[in-house]
Amino acid sequence: MWFYIMASPWIAGFIIFLAGPMVASFYLSLTDYDLLTPPQWIGLDNYRRMLVEDPLFWKVLRNTAYYTFLSVPLSTVLSVALAALLNKPLPGMRIYRTIVYLPALVPLVASAMLFSWVLAPDTGLINRGLALIGIRGPAWLLSETWVIPALILMSIWSVGTGVVLLLAGMQGIPQELLEAATIDGASGTQRFFRIVLPMLSPVILFNVVMGLIGAFQVFSQVYILTGGGPNNASQMLVPYIFEEGFRNYRMGYASALSWLLFAIIMACTAIVFRTSSRWVFYETEVRR
Amino acid sequence: MTAQLDQAAAAYGGGQQRRSQAVGARRAYDTAMSYAILTVVSAILSAPFVFMVSIALSSDATVQKATFTLIPREFHFENFVRVMTSDAPMARWILNSLIIVTFACLGQMFVSAMVAYAFARLRAPGRSVLFVILLSTMMVPVEVTIIPQFILFRELDWIDTLYPLIVPNLFGGAYNIFLMRQFVTRIPRELDEAAQVDGLGYFGIFARIILPLMKPVVVAVGVFSFAFSWGWFFGPLIYLNTESKYPLALGVQFLSGTSTNAQTPPYNLVMVGALFLTVPMVAVYFFSQKYIYQVNLSSGSAGIR
Repeated sequence: MWFYIMASPWIAGFIIFLAGPMVASFYLSLTDYDLLTPPQWIGLDNYRRMLVEDPLFWKVLRNTAYYTFLSVPLSTVLSVALAALLNKPLPGMRIYRTIVYLPALVPLVASAMLFSWVLAPDTGLINRGLALIGIRGPAWLLSETWVIPALILMSIWSVGTGVVLLLAGMQGIPQELLEAATIDGASGTQRFFRIVLPMLSPVILFNVVMGLIGAFQVFSQVYILTGGGPNNASQMLVPYIFEEGFRNYRMGYASALSWLLFAIIMACTAIVFRTSSRWVFYETEVRR
Repeated sequence: MTAQLDQAAAAYGGGQQRRSQAVGARRAYDTAMSYAILTVVSAILSAPFVFMVSIALSSDATVQKATFTLIPREFHFENFVRVMTSDAPMARWILNSLIIVTFACLGQMFVSAMVAYAFARLRAPGRSVLFVILLSTMMVPVEVTIIPQFILFRELDWIDTLYPLIVPNLFGGAYNIFLMRQFVTRIPRELDEAAQVDGLGYFGIFARIILPLMKPVVVAVGVFSFAFSWGWFFGPLIYLNTESKYPLALGVQFLSGTSTNAQTPPYNLVMVGALFLTVPMVAVYFFSQKYIYQVNLSSGSAGIR
C-alpha cells in the first residue's frame, strides 16, 4: 500500500505525460490534424505519404543516418584513444582531463552560437587555421557537401562526455591484471587491446547506445545553425518533425514521423545489443 | 667467427643493462609523445573557448566587419553590462531560467528520491511489472509525446507560461529514479529495520534515514536536472512566444536573430549570453564533482545530455 502512495507521483506522471500522450500520438498519426479543426481519420495515409510520396522524407532519413553513423563511431574511437592517453599516471593529467571535459559542459545553444563563428567560411576559426597550413577550407555550413561533416565536427568537440565514463571504467581495472600481463611479457599495445579494451567494453557499449539515441534526435544544432539548409542538405528527423508539426501545423503527419523515429531508435538499439554479446565482455562471466 | 662470438658474449653480458636503457628510452619517448598529443588536442579543444571570450569582448564595429581574432585584442567589458540593461533583457532571461531550474531540480531530486525508495524497499503486488515499465519508458524519445503534451498544455491554457517547463519535473524522471533506486539497494537494510523498531513509519524512514544517506546520488540527479533544464531549447521554443518569458537559452538564440544596430546581429552580446549559459554549468560541475564520482554511473547508466 505504502509503495503505491510513495510511487504515486511517478505513476501519475507516467499516465499523464507518457502513456496517455503515447496513445494520443499514435491515434493522431492516423489522422489529419491542424490544431484548429477536429482530427480527421485517414488510416495509414500519413505513413503511406511518408514512405511513398514525400521525397523530402527520404532525404531527411539519409541525412540523419549519415550524421549518426559517422559521428557515433568517430567519437567512440576518439574518446577511447583520449581516455587511454589521459589514464597515464603522469603529472599534470588533471589539467588535461579538465580541458577535454569542459566542452561537454557547454549548453548546445551556446556551442551552436560559438560554432557559427568557428565554422564561418572566411573569418571562421577552422578555415583560418587551415589557411595557415595552406589549405583553402570549404564553406562548411553553407555547402551542401560539407554541412553535415561540419555538424559532426561540432559534436566531436564535446567528446569529453564519453571520455569521463571511460576513464572511470579504466580506474576500475584491477592493477594486478595489468602487472601480471607485463610479467608475462605483454607489450603496452597488447595490454591495451587484450585487457583494457575488453574490460571497457560495457562502458563502450553504453556510450554507443547513448550516442546513437542522441544523434538520431539531433535538433538544436540543426535548427540554430542551418535551419535544415542549404537546400535541405542538413534537414534531419527531429527538426523535420518540428517543422511539420509546429510550423506547418500538420500534427498528424508529425506524429507519424515521431513514431518512425521511435521505431528506428528501437531497431538500432536492439541491433547493437544483439551484436554486443560478441564484443562486450562482462567480468562476472569469468569470475563466477 | 670468433669476433662474432666475442661480440655476442659481450652483448649478453651487457644485455641486461642495455635492455633497461632501451626500456627507459622507450618510456621517455612514450611520455613525450603523450604530452605532445595531449597538448595539441587540448589546444584545439580550448581554442573555441578563447574565441568565445574574444567575440564577447569585441566592439560593435568589429562585429559589423566580422574581424574577430582568436586572442582577444580589445576588451569591451561594458558588453557584460549592456546585456543587462538596454540592448537585451538578459537579466529577465536569467531570472526565468533560474525559476525553471530551481523547481525542476527540487522536483527531480526529492520526488525521484521518494519513488526510488519505494521501488527499492517497499513490497507490493505489481512492483516488478512497474519497474520494467519504468525502465522501458527511458527508451521513448520525447518527440513521440511532445505533440499530445502540447495539446494538453494548450487545453490547460499553459502555453506561453513557464508551467509546461516546470510541472512535468514534479513527477520524477525515469532515469533519475532508476539511478537512485540502484543507490538505495546498496544501503544496508538493518538501518531501516532499526528505525522501524524505533517506531518510524515508511515515510519517516525515507525522510530521516535514507534520504540523508542518499546525498551523493541526490546531488548527482540535481546536477543532471540542472544541466538539462538550464540548456533545454526544444521545450521553451515550443511553449513560449513572449520574449520576456524566455529562459536564457532561448533568449540567446532569439538575440542572434535580431539586428539592433544596422544589419548584423549583436554577436558580441550573443557571446556574452553564451558565456552566461556556460559558466554556471562549469561552476556546478566543479562544486559537485566529488559527489558525482561516488555514484556508480557505469552500473548501466549515466546521461549527461
